[in-house]
Amino acid sequence: MSILAYNGGCVVAMRGKDCVAIATDHRFGVQAQTISTDFKKVFHIAPRMFLGLTGLQTDILTVRDRLMFRKNIYETKENREMAPKPFSAMLSSFLYEHRFGPYFIEPVVAGLDPKTMKPFICNMDLIGCPNEPDDFVVAGTCAEQLYGMCETLWRPDLEPDQLFEVISQSMVNAFDRDAMSGWGATVYIIEKDKITERSLKTRMD
Amino acid sequence: MGPDFDFTDTPVSTGTTIMAVEFDGGVVIGADSRTSSGAYVANRVTDKLTQISDKIYCCRSGSAADTQAIADIVAYSLNYHRNQTNKEPLVWEAASEFRNFCYNYRDSLMAGIIVAGWDEERGGQVYSVPLGGMLTHEACTIGGSGSSYIYGFVKEHYRLGMEMEECIDFVKKAVQHAIFHDGSSGGVVRIGIITKDGIERRLFFNTESGQSKIEGSQSFLV
Amino acid sequence: MTLDSAPDVPRAGFNFDNCRRNAALLQGGFKPPTTTKTGTTIVGIIYKDGVILGADTRATEGPIVSDKNCAKIHYLAKNIYCCGAGTAADTEMTTDLISSQLELHRLNTERQVPVVCANNILKQMLFRYQGHISAALVLGGVDKNGPHIYSIHPHGSSDKLPYATMGSGCLAAMTVFESRWKPDLSEEEGKLLVRDAIASGIFNDLGSGSNVDLCVIRKDSTEYLRNYELANKKGERQIDYRFKKGTSATLHTTIKDLLITEKVQVVPMEVS
Repeated sequence: MSILAYNGGCVVAMRGKDCVAIATDHRFGVQAQTISTDFKKVFHIAPRMFLGLTGLQTDILTVRDRLMFRKNIYETKENREMAPKPFSAMLSSFLYEHRFGPYFIEPVVAGLDPKTMKPFICNMDLIGCPNEPDDFVVAGTCAEQLYGMCETLWRPDLEPDQLFEVISQSMVNAFDRDAMSGWGATVYIIEKDKITERSLKTRMD
Repeated sequence: MGPDFDFTDTPVSTGTTIMAVEFDGGVVIGADSRTSSGAYVANRVTDKLTQISDKIYCCRSGSAADTQAIADIVAYSLNYHRNQTNKEPLVWEAASEFRNFCYNYRDSLMAGIIVAGWDEERGGQVYSVPLGGMLTHEACTIGGSGSSYIYGFVKEHYRLGMEMEECIDFVKKAVQHAIFHDGSSGGVVRIGIITKDGIERRLFFNTESGQSKIEGSQSFLV
Repeated sequence: MTLDSAPDVPRAGFNFDNCRRNAALLQGGFKPPTTTKTGTTIVGIIYKDGVILGADTRATEGPIVSDKNCAKIHYLAKNIYCCGAGTAADTEMTTDLISSQLELHRLNTERQVPVVCANNILKQMLFRYQGHISAALVLGGVDKNGPHIYSIHPHGSSDKLPYATMGSGCLAAMTVFESRWKPDLSEEEGKLLVRDAIASGIFNDLGSGSNVDLCVIRKDSTEYLRNYELANKKGERQIDYRFKKGTSATLHTTIKDLLITEKVQVVPMEVS
């Protein structure tokens, strides 16, 4: 088994029209055993930016802390909010620093640029190879299922309401076919003026 | 399981035939032109006769990366030496510099090198630096994977005191035999004749006519 | 200055802190994770007025296509570009690093950087890392000495060639070059040849796919033709899978208002 699948879990992010969505499951397990069902792998790190981290739980927390440290240093030095693009570049170089002893995580970044309000999504492999497509990004133990769901359901220019349904259905149906993810899900819709957080009702098995 | 991308893990090596012969007034060096990565021919027109100084060349065999790196370092160092002392470097100096690298890093390097050239003090000389980092002076030497096939040929046909053209023909024939028998040697035969006037390069194609088949500008052949 | 509560930002270069832990985890029978690879077809040729580089646009993670349209032709300098195959992060970071070194070199010398210089820096770096940085590169550019193509292998060896291919699709692409390349091709012939070489990689090699990227570098101009040809278009969707609002059952919703209100307060100044 891959170390990336030790604790289970998945994250997906999608681009919509002037908005982005990011969703996470709630499971934290140790191999087949579910330990808790309230571990959200998505972190709110700036007013309009979220960071999703899947993989080994110990590394999820470490990477989040180290990144927050670097981001705070940046914001103190520059005296301005960090946009998603430079944040992803920072994350990428942080992960590549550990090229020969990596953190076992796969990150996803979603947000709106604080100046232009343009949607931004990005994911990386565990050594920081960035990928910025214009549709959706996935990560986690059910990445294959998520790719299939998103590839069929996603359309360009989704409005926030539709985007929510698309990302929810993609997520729920993908992790229902994965024993390592699920047990509840949370979806965040990021818009210019508000962030909507919705907990989904899902199977609990 | 996904598709296999072993090309990044397969080291590139010059599974080679290289050769050098002394004659009165200079040396003749020769090599095939194949560089392989596993079973794939990564370069079929390689130049394994690498310049170190004006009148000193080396023939490279073993890992392409290792031998290129050593040759670059030695060339740089001899050039620096020449600028400092205002004297052309000696072939023996070049050879011992190669020996130092190959011996000191013998555990991490895969390099079999022949150093050959001409200098004021001792005329044409050939030195061999094989895998472990030993240094020997020889009048005629062969190296690389293809050399195993031509030990008999070389022993039978090499004579002390051959003329230049005889030497060229001898080297050409030897390398052609090695190319025929050895799978990791191939392509053309590249020959260099180093005398007090510098180097003269010759190229022997493995075609029926003995000529290149490429049309148009011939600028890529040299 | 080091404070207990605010440690210094770690110094530049690779960090090996996790190596022992990761080795222990691997000892425990966990498979090493897959990194994104570009099991690629990348090529470069010399033509009459310069060089043409080409690449496919597929990135893979094991059997999964992780990026359907990635850019594998990297910028090094105005007159030098470089195609990368192997571990995607390695090619990306290596070319970025060399690009900035070349720019500093250009500013120091106040001259256009020659292509050999890029080749030397790249091969010396890759040799130093003894093949652990899996970057297989096709370097191409034009300088005052004319056009140049180099193919650089991950262990740090390089070959100067009139035409080169690299990546898992190198055989497919090389067959095209071996049968059709000749000296002094025109730009149109050259672009067609490179397109055909990449297309043969896309359609015959599993590790390569999607679109064709080209980059034409001439004596004093460069043309980066991103998605020169869309070799594989996605099919049109026949039915609209639109969900009715409320399809996904929610347990609870929280809305965080982000409207920022600003209040300016006038502070009276003391006047002497």
